[in-house]
Amino acid sequence: ASASEPPASPRDAADQNFDYMFKLLLIGNSSVGKTSFLFRYADDSFTPAFVSTVGIDFKVKTVYRHDKRIKLQIWDTAGQERYRTITTAYYRGAMGFLLMYDIANQESFTAVQDWATQIKTYSWDNAQVILVGNKCDLEDERVVPAEDGRRLADDLGFEFFEASAKENINVKQVFERLVDIICDKMNESLEPSSSPGSNGKGPALGDTPPPQPSSCSC
Amino acid sequence: MAEKLPTEFDVVIIGTGLPESILAAACSRSGQRVLHVDSRSYYGGNWASFSFTGLQSWLKDYQQNHDSEEGVTATWQDLIHETEEAISLRKKDETIQHTEVFCYASQDVEDSVQDTETLQRSSPLEASATPADSLDSASLPKERQSAYSTSYEVPSRHTEESDRELSLPSANVEDSLEKEKYCGDKTDMHTVSGEDKGEHKLVVQDSIEQPKRNRITYSQMVKESRRFNIDLVSKPLYSQGSLIDLLIKSNVSRYAEFKNVTRILAFWEGKVEQVPCSRADVFNSKELSMVEKRMLMKFLTFCLDYEQHSDEYQDFKQCSFSDYLKTKKLTPNLQHFILHSIAMTSESSCTTLDGLQATKNFLQCLGRFGNTPFIFPLYGHGEIPQCFCRMCAVFGGVYCLRHKVQCLVVDKDSGRCKGIIDAFGQRISANYFIVEDSYLPKETCSNVQYKQISRAVLITDQSILKTDSDQQISILVVPPLEPGTTSVRVMELCSSTMTCMKDSYLVHLTCSSSKTAREDLEPVVKQLFIPEAEAEAGKDELRKPRLLWALYFNMRDSSGVSRSSYCGLPSNVYICSGPDWGLGSEHAVKQAETLFQEIFPSEEFCPPPPNPEDIIFEAEG
Repeated sequence: ASASEPPASPRDAADQNFDYMFKLLLIGNSSVGKTSFLFRYADDSFTPAFVSTVGIDFKVKTVYRHDKRIKLQIWDTAGQERYRTITTAYYRGAMGFLLMYDIANQESFTAVQDWATQIKTYSWDNAQVILVGNKCDLEDERVVPAEDGRRLADDLGFEFFEASAKENINVKQVFERLVDIICDKMNESLEPSSSPGSNGKGPALGDTPPPQPSSCSC
Repeated sequence: MAEKLPTEFDVVIIGTGLPESILAAACSRSGQRVLHVDSRSYYGGNWASFSFTGLQSWLKDYQQNHDSEEGVTATWQDLIHETEEAISLRKKDETIQHTEVFCYASQDVEDSVQDTETLQRSSPLEASATPADSLDSASLPKERQSAYSTSYEVPSRHTEESDRELSLPSANVEDSLEKEKYCGDKTDMHTVSGEDKGEHKLVVQDSIEQPKRNRITYSQMVKESRRFNIDLVSKPLYSQGSLIDLLIKSNVSRYAEFKNVTRILAFWEGKVEQVPCSRADVFNSKELSMVEKRMLMKFLTFCLDYEQHSDEYQDFKQCSFSDYLKTKKLTPNLQHFILHSIAMTSESSCTTLDGLQATKNFLQCLGRFGNTPFIFPLYGHGEIPQCFCRMCAVFGGVYCLRHKVQCLVVDKDSGRCKGIIDAFGQRISANYFIVEDSYLPKETCSNVQYKQISRAVLITDQSILKTDSDQQISILVVPPLEPGTTSVRVMELCSSTMTCMKDSYLVHLTCSSSKTAREDLEPVVKQLFIPEAEAEAGKDELRKPRLLWALYFNMRDSSGVSRSSYCGLPSNVYICSGPDWGLGSEHAVKQAETLFQEIFPSEEFCPPPPNPEDIIFEAEG
């Protein structure tokens, strides 16, 4: 966290170099390995000790999927999950979540329900969620069977992975899968015919044209 | 509580209202170890916003007058040394009074069965405004599925709606550059405006009988509870105000999104009219005659640099602004517009100079983001304190809600506060203590004269001034209806502000209190709205929006209290006030900055943080 100089302008040019930007959030109990997971993915680094994340709001990584450059902005909880005090503002506008527990920590698994409800309450209706059982390298200390994780994910309507930030197992795959399902949902909604069933939007209600853009000075 | 709190900090902050949260961010940013606690289960104190059911739980708390002694079991007496004394903090919040709720929307039997189910499921925990609660989510999978099948809609890549979302520029880059980046960014998927679409099914049946009027029932409001983000104090932001400047400078703006307030309205001769503010508005106005347009333009142009033309107002410095306007060859409706809707001042109390300054301020705010001088945060103003809290946390601040502090521990010799003792009997030490007014005990406040704010929150079915677009955000100042009363500020929010459900409007009324909130505000409510039940009768009344639900309450206004009015406070205990009734949040920002500089005179207040993207670029490079 040494960069305190304002960026030079080339960064801004590079900044525009993507087709989509997705805001993704990491969520789950304290010490399940969210930050390690993020650092493994974004920087391909792993520090077994506690990683100090002071000053780091989110990490950015650009990926290529389906011939598109997708800029991922991946936000961490800033420690506010510790006493269950995540701000509602954290959830706003997120398109995807990695809901994480520690396979060697029953409490973190039990809390998944609660976190799922938080996501549903405060995030956008169609945010995509993947349930991740982290630290799958700790097979000896495992208390949550993979089957339990899968079943819960099914119940919640989420996809499921076990992964390890330490051994770099499934880290990239989890993120790529999340990006894929966000893209899928996006494409689905762009093709009206494929949207499942009538959404009750009666034509008689006069789909009012979108409100005039107020002339914001940009 | 799963984990115990650390026991040593530099700064302990009690209360998560706007000034406390700004201070938390500022302290944390400058390297202080900050503990930020709130006794409530939600962020924001009296600056919070709630879902529909969340607001009702909040109300219940005040109406039940519950004894909050319960749960506080640990005794602190043993933890105080002989050389110390304790200032015990107030156990119960007393800043909200005279709450009154009226439901006008239909509550038929079928509905009410649903209600109780929903309410039971959602209260008291789920109902709370913060995600901090643990929630019962038994029904989650089903509901989620239905949400998918009925209202899936990803915001398209570049809709007109997403154009209207405002992101504040970051401090690092020149304003114009950033604005272009945010608003012109065709690939930015980061939009929420698609969310509230596709819910017409709720109103399809009714619409056959009443093509123009969608009926929203009480149970629908409960069901759509989370669409509501109802602010206890609803304030827009001045486009050129200190809060926006701070948000941009500190980069806290990256946590929030905004929309332009689209209209300034006036209540003139019993009717609601749109006030032309910008040059283009004035010329396009249908309400004004050619002559009036010229008069108004001339006057507004003068106000923009009125200081240069002191001869124009020299002789009227001692007069009220309204008397001054009478001398300026303006028609009565123009005088009304300028006084109430542009300067937003009152008839009696405003001097010519103050009025000119207010007018100039208004005009200067025009055009920075839109054609009114204001913007409004998506999801309500209650997001703003939380955004500062996030910044504090990012720099290491520790957060704990539902955390009661029993007392401040004061060293008898030095007279300084050494620490706090929380409800779990844990002693936490720090050098500085920042406490929100409502936590202070009666004895400390015995000399303080508090003012009151009168508030009303309404849910209605139509806008007070209908236009082609049903997505307007409007501000209206209703002048005193009778002599001796005060003017009332009305803010009407549409569903795209993410503060109310589709096809409804959330209306906030605010004035400084002279009586109870209902006594102060009901006359204005009656002028502008008609209760749902009465709407059937008279056809003339069809023009007025229907009132579906209304809440009145009074809130303590501690903003004007000077430090010296509090008795017996140690010098390292600093007091933040609750919300004031003013239009913007300038008071809170100023208070936070003043206190910060008092505590840390050599530190910069909320400097821009390093850009996370830069940190990554360096790591890779």
